[in-house]
Amino acid sequence: MIFSIGVAIGQNDESKPEKKKERPVRSMFESSVLIDDQTSVIPIKNTLVMHIQHRFGLIKTNSASDLFGIYAPSANTRMGLNYSILNNLMVGYGITKKNMYNDFQVKWAFLRQTRSGNIPLNLAVYANMAIDGRKNSVFGDDYEFANRLSYFTQLIVGRKFNEWFSMEVNVSYTHFNAVPTEKINVTGYEHSVFGAGGHVRFKFSAQSSIVLLYSAPIFIEGMAENTDVLNDWSPNVGIGYEVATSTHAFQIFVTTADGIVPQDIYMYNTSKLGESEIRFGFNITRLWGF
Amino acid sequence: MKSIKHISIIIFAIAIVSVFMAFITPQDQKKGEKWDIPEKYQTMVNSYAGDASLKKIGKMLYSKHCKSCHGSKGLGDGSKAAQLDTFPGDFSSAEFKEHTPGDMYYMTYVGRDEMESFEKKISDEEDQWAVIMYLAGLQNN
Repeated sequence: MIFSIGVAIGQNDESKPEKKKERPVRSMFESSVLIDDQTSVIPIKNTLVMHIQHRFGLIKTNSASDLFGIYAPSANTRMGLNYSILNNLMVGYGITKKNMYNDFQVKWAFLRQTRSGNIPLNLAVYANMAIDGRKNSVFGDDYEFANRLSYFTQLIVGRKFNEWFSMEVNVSYTHFNAVPTEKINVTGYEHSVFGAGGHVRFKFSAQSSIVLLYSAPIFIEGMAENTDVLNDWSPNVGIGYEVATSTHAFQIFVTTADGIVPQDIYMYNTSKLGESEIRFGFNITRLWGF
Repeated sequence: MKSIKHISIIIFAIAIVSVFMAFITPQDQKKGEKWDIPEKYQTMVNSYAGDASLKKIGKMLYSKHCKSCHGSKGLGDGSKAAQLDTFPGDFSSAEFKEHTPGDMYYMTYVGRDEMESFEKKISDEEDQWAVIMYLAGLQNN
């Protein structure tokens, strides 16, 4: 009797289906940045990432005489380093030419789409704090260090539909402690703005993709500080080509925004696609594993 | 007068040496020494063997991580191969065909010298074996 029960238990164990290990989908995007956006991608633990992000001048301003903005003096550059503390947690620092923003950032990918489909989406939060690094005099007579600070928080939702198509949408909140005052002849700026956007990747070979981006500030009149003079907010649009190798991702694109730090783009981008206010730009990502 | 003659001889000698130096070509790449592969790797079992769905994955990962040195057909003629001190190997050669999948796993994910470890770049075990299976397929070219 005892023997037969033992056999029965043994049979139950054998018939129990083996639990398959869940794995995140392979490379939803090739880099943690895509044109001007953050992606939900975080390289594996102990990876150091170097970013070089560059935006040239407007193409139309001098056309061929400054090689369509490539040799224009109004270029903007950000150099940054990120480090993956965990497989789903990354911190970073960067410095940008425009306004000498020093940004400190953190990204947490708290849910990852799995290959089995049991988890259908990537979910990540990205937040940064930037310090405007220009001279004290820029901030007017009543200078305070806090006036240099701005904040950006974003929720990113992503899905890799198949090997060739991935998409992410995001919502964000931007806040600047101080915005331009009457001193520089601008009035009416909001301190805070919500935003929404998305980007897609069409991968057409093992290494190459076409990438598109759209993001827009959302003006909510009921929450506005000032409705007499409205910010000249403009959506940001970008389209580009991406090529990825083992340790690099290169993105070459045209975009409307001259800013690189996201809160600057949402708050201060006034370039309009409809008026052909676009510029060339590129991002280079280099990875080192430790 | 004598010094001018000496200077002329020196200039002529430099010119001759420069002409000959122009024809100097880089030395051939050295062939890598035999790999010393621990037994536990030699006999390693590929638990993903026969999974046809990994063929495409292996090809894509090979293109991204390996092709620049090893070439699109694994002949060791990738765009970066000429910069290496050591020839990256010809996967279609009889010598390479003697390697077991475990040998290839060791060479790829433990590595040595210029053939650095790809363990962190291709961190998922299933992906790692997808590349090995693709390499094994290149042997038949």
